[in-house]
Amino acid sequence: MTGPKGETSEDRDLPADRAFACPDCDRRWYYDRRRCPDCGRSSADAATVRLETGAVVATSTVETTPPDVRAPNHLALVRFDEVQLIAQAADGELSPGDRVRFDGSHRLRDGRERTDPRLVAIDEP
Amino acid sequence: MTTEVRVGGVGMTPFESDSGRSLVDLAAAAAEEALADAAVDPAAVDALHFGNALAEALDDSAGLANALAAALGLDGASADRIENTSATGASAFHRGVEGIGSRAAGGAGSDRTDVALVVGAEKMSAGDTRSVTEAISRLVHRREYAQGITLPSFGGLAAGAYLDRHDAPREALAAVAAKNHGNAVDNPVAQFRKPVDVEDALDSPIVAAPLRLYDCCPMSDGAAAVVLTRTDGGEPATDRGTEAAPAPRVAGIASATGTHAVAERPDPLSIDSVRTAGERVFDRAGIRPDDVDVACIHDAFTVLELIELEELGFYEPGTAWEATLDGDTALDGDLPVNPGGGLKARGHPLGATGLSQIVELVWQLRGDLPADRRVDGAETGFAINVAGFGNNSVCTVLRA
Repeated sequence: MTGPKGETSEDRDLPADRAFACPDCDRRWYYDRRRCPDCGRSSADAATVRLETGAVVATSTVETTPPDVRAPNHLALVRFDEVQLIAQAADGELSPGDRVRFDGSHRLRDGRERTDPRLVAIDEP
Repeated sequence: MTTEVRVGGVGMTPFESDSGRSLVDLAAAAAEEALADAAVDPAAVDALHFGNALAEALDDSAGLANALAAALGLDGASADRIENTSATGASAFHRGVEGIGSRAAGGAGSDRTDVALVVGAEKMSAGDTRSVTEAISRLVHRREYAQGITLPSFGGLAAGAYLDRHDAPREALAAVAAKNHGNAVDNPVAQFRKPVDVEDALDSPIVAAPLRLYDCCPMSDGAAAVVLTRTDGGEPATDRGTEAAPAPRVAGIASATGTHAVAERPDPLSIDSVRTAGERVFDRAGIRPDDVDVACIHDAFTVLELIELEELGFYEPGTAWEATLDGDTALDGDLPVNPGGGLKARGHPLGATGLSQIVELVWQLRGDLPADRRVDGAETGFAINVAGFGNNSVCTVLRA
């Protein structure tokens, strides 16, 4: 997938389970930027990739949330290879070290039309 | 000829939850107190720097620097407005110091500045809880905002990681809150002057686990101001100081930006902007962390006090919590931290906070304070004011 001409990754609103990828060096990043952090190529035509499996680094359950956000809001800091992000978890059961993936379709803030997946634990055999 | 910048006078209003005063009125009150403390006539002010973060979002105000200049009668002075979220006050101070230093050298577009007035003010009570929460939640990256992430969310994640990695007890965070609330009891400008013990902090409602209410700074109204003066190697033209001590000198000041999206930090307990600004300011001041006698650390959340103390080199990684429990950072400890109560208990009116840290250091270095508020013999003071959850930091070293 490429962005319309003239746009950068800063202009593109991706689903929660998607990261940007540089067409030249394949460097991945999650939080929009105007250029690839490794090779400096413009992010205007950055590809996007689905994040598959990550590892939980830290968690928090937030009780005091903005008015349009669920309370409590279960959050996890998760590392997906070279990409690290904070996202909503489906529940408060995650712990550091757990393996997770994105799943489901949820409205993350009231009033938003779009839906996004949340983090869920992967059942290890 | 060496140009030195000195803090010739300071002033601040009480920090409180609802001051009942306008933003400009708060700022003017602090400014007039600072001018009087410096024995400087408003007509002698060459430059006004006004720090405020949220006036447009909460108070429907604009053109603040000009309004304040008019209120104070600073006709003819240059004036500007500085905004850097939670570090607005320190960034305004930085601008003032740089303005005197650079203009002293002359050059195109440079008027000589002998006296600069730096004021920071915020009126967070101007908005209802929803609008304040919304305004502050907009400080995060937009993909973080989409997840409902707020600054306390970062605090909760970092606190959990800190306790987990260092096998520290939850009491370590509560001890920071208890210390800073205890320091505020005798500070007449502090927002909260009631003692809070470790058990109170541990029993308070959860905000962002493991952080509880007493781990988080409040929303505040308030203003703080300083008068900066310059010397060129001789006696300062407007340096009044006090009978007990001369006006403290700005030995170093440094700012640094860091990762905007908090999740992108490779280590959740590492804040690049804090470390970089700290290294720069210690280098510029020609001192080491163990030369510091008293420190004002940006404790918007208790865990930040611990992380910043470690990032700045005051303590080895993973040891600030033990130092806190051992009393090292208490008023009578080896490194008194936040003797005025910090953001935690003195309050956190965003635009004023960084300047209130400078005011506290000046009081300490001049020996103005009563014995139960004073760090005895303090000659070197350090302050760090942090924007957001560390995407920008400003460090200052003052010497008596």
